[in-house]
Amino acid sequence: MTSRDEQLKILVPHSFRSTLSRRALLQLGAGSAGLTALLAACGSDDKASPSSSSPATSGSTPAGDSILGSFSQVVNKSSGTLAMYTWGDYNDPALVGDLADTDLGITMKVDYYTSNEDLITKLSTANGSSGFDIVVPTGPYVPQMIEKGLLQKFDKSKLPNIVNVDPFYLGQAWDTTNDYSVCKDWGSTGWMWDTTQIDGDIATWTDFMAACTGPASGNCSVLDTGANILGMYCWGNGIDWNTTDPAELDAAEKYLVDEFASNIKAFDSYPSTKIAEGAYALSMAWNGDARQAFVRIADAGGNPDDWKWALGSPETELWMDNYCIPDGAPNPDAAHAWINWLLTPQISIQDLQYHGYNSGMKDMPALIAELAPDLARGDMIFFSDEQVKTMKTQAITEAQDRIADIYNKVKAKAGG
Amino acid sequence: MAQSIVPPPARRRVRAPKFALAGPSMIWYVLFFIVPIAFIVVYSFGAKDSSQRIPVDLSSPTFGNYSKAFSATFFTTFKQTIRIAVLATLLTVVIGFPVAYFLAFKVQEKWRAILLALVIVPSFTSFLIRTLAWRIPLSKNGTLSGWLQDWGILSGPIDILETRTAVQIAIVYNYLGFMILPLFVALDRIEGVLREASKDLGANRLATFMRVTLPLAGPGIAAGVLLTFIPMCGDYVTATVLGGAKGNMIGALIDSQFKGAQNWPLGSAIAVLMIGAVLLVLAVGAILVFGTQWILRRRRRVDISSVGARP
Repeated sequence: MTSRDEQLKILVPHSFRSTLSRRALLQLGAGSAGLTALLAACGSDDKASPSSSSPATSGSTPAGDSILGSFSQVVNKSSGTLAMYTWGDYNDPALVGDLADTDLGITMKVDYYTSNEDLITKLSTANGSSGFDIVVPTGPYVPQMIEKGLLQKFDKSKLPNIVNVDPFYLGQAWDTTNDYSVCKDWGSTGWMWDTTQIDGDIATWTDFMAACTGPASGNCSVLDTGANILGMYCWGNGIDWNTTDPAELDAAEKYLVDEFASNIKAFDSYPSTKIAEGAYALSMAWNGDARQAFVRIADAGGNPDDWKWALGSPETELWMDNYCIPDGAPNPDAAHAWINWLLTPQISIQDLQYHGYNSGMKDMPALIAELAPDLARGDMIFFSDEQVKTMKTQAITEAQDRIADIYNKVKAKAGG
Repeated sequence: MAQSIVPPPARRRVRAPKFALAGPSMIWYVLFFIVPIAFIVVYSFGAKDSSQRIPVDLSSPTFGNYSKAFSATFFTTFKQTIRIAVLATLLTVVIGFPVAYFLAFKVQEKWRAILLALVIVPSFTSFLIRTLAWRIPLSKNGTLSGWLQDWGILSGPIDILETRTAVQIAIVYNYLGFMILPLFVALDRIEGVLREASKDLGANRLATFMRVTLPLAGPGIAAGVLLTFIPMCGDYVTATVLGGAKGNMIGALIDSQFKGAQNWPLGSAIAVLMIGAVLLVLAVGAILVFGTQWILRRRRRVDISSVGARP
């Protein structure tokens, strides 16, 4: 744990080194372990690299010049109201507020959902009249949204800044040509705990489960998604997270319902605020929300140093959220203008500093060094090759109903 | 003589049927209550089909969703929901009745309107905001928690959020007004002379209350119970905002089937079951109340057939 403590304070150089090495590997074009692992983790083994031939992505910057020179920085003006339906607290308030108005002439209106299914239900029932111009689904959910006709194709002439996205994050399995979606950011799952309430280290999912059923019993929160609670069990026990094997799911149910559920204090997808309120001693959290928790604890007068963060281990999740334009969007022009704006390096990094997730810009280490040299807790945003290798992407399988069933049983048991 | 009387010309007046007065509300209820509920009932016999926008396949109707919905998960959650709702309804009666009684009989006329307005004032703020606002004073690391510890009133921090107690208290607070108003209306309509007559006939204050006031307030209590108990059973906001894992209620279970699992048929079946179960609970409650009344009436019956026969 000492190395992690050290990372917490001087995270930036560490993470840069790891990110840099990944970049170096990429540019060498070597089929190195790190590269393959990342590609596999992104679920994009079959990905095309649409932008790799573009000169803008070559990444060759003359020494001494600003890195920004190699980026496309087109800002298109638009007008009217832009309604976005997204995850909670997921953009710098200025970028969905005043700054969008001054820079683009757009008035923003933002609503929030807590799960992809929530989003799909809303769009499906509205049948093209939801009134939203931008939605932010997670990768594996994009194909069914395309299939149901919930999304419209991008007008790529209005998204020239897409060349700024690292080709690693383009052409993902769910939308190989980026006709419907472009990476907003990606992240992972881990936990944070109050060291004044829980002694010892929590290094793995097994430790997490032991702490939840032990010292943090009745004082721990888990993410409010069935997939993550099943994930905790699978990752900790070396089981494929996307298993459809009934025996494995039965065993998961037995543990989660009979042994785990009654210890849960809350199902909370954004625990950072309540951590600051003092509601939990141990919380499963997405890395960006956990990073914000440190800020919020300090804001609330607490001591952030009492808390520790750990990325899920030995395996954990990798998700990527994507900007998409729903079918029937009232103001697609503003939607394109805003997404394109978010793909300019300055805006992207400004947003990243707020939400704490890797926004997938190319040349990220250089961008951070230039635009956000004081970035705090960078290790919670950028992960090493070794960490990325352990991350798994969710697949939508025929086990979805079974997982929902297990999840409801867990919830019923937790309440009983 | 008869010929001299000219019959008045028949006045032709177009008379709408009397139920036309209820027309607007009937249209409203049919469109926004009957039709959606009918869809829920129909969907509950369908099968999940994620490829469609409305993920329900109705080609081969089945009762399968009901056998799935009739599970331990449903009953555990339903039991908790009913426990919270029943206890909260009793508490609203116990807390609301004295207030309504005070407003109807004790308070001066000039203050009554103001006090009634005060009962309604909380509803000026949205239900959600009122519930969320609770989180601020009750938070563990909050200012209030700190003060109470500094003053030595509490030995540890307030630890009430994310518990069933929090849901229980908040749900009583959220619905109290819906109990007080019908109770007040019922009590206000009781003629003072009836209570005076009871006193004249020798009943003490308790007997007057138990045997005159309370029975006459019955319809108000029934209306209050219906207005609070039924929405409480379907309450989703209070449990979601304050309940954490321990305050799980049936609304969240239905929500998770519609949104989480995208299993609309199963969600619909649970919703239909829940409607049935709530009606059943109300029926049991009504039978208990009427049964008790019937027994009381029999016991208190005064036989007056012999009175007139007295020599």
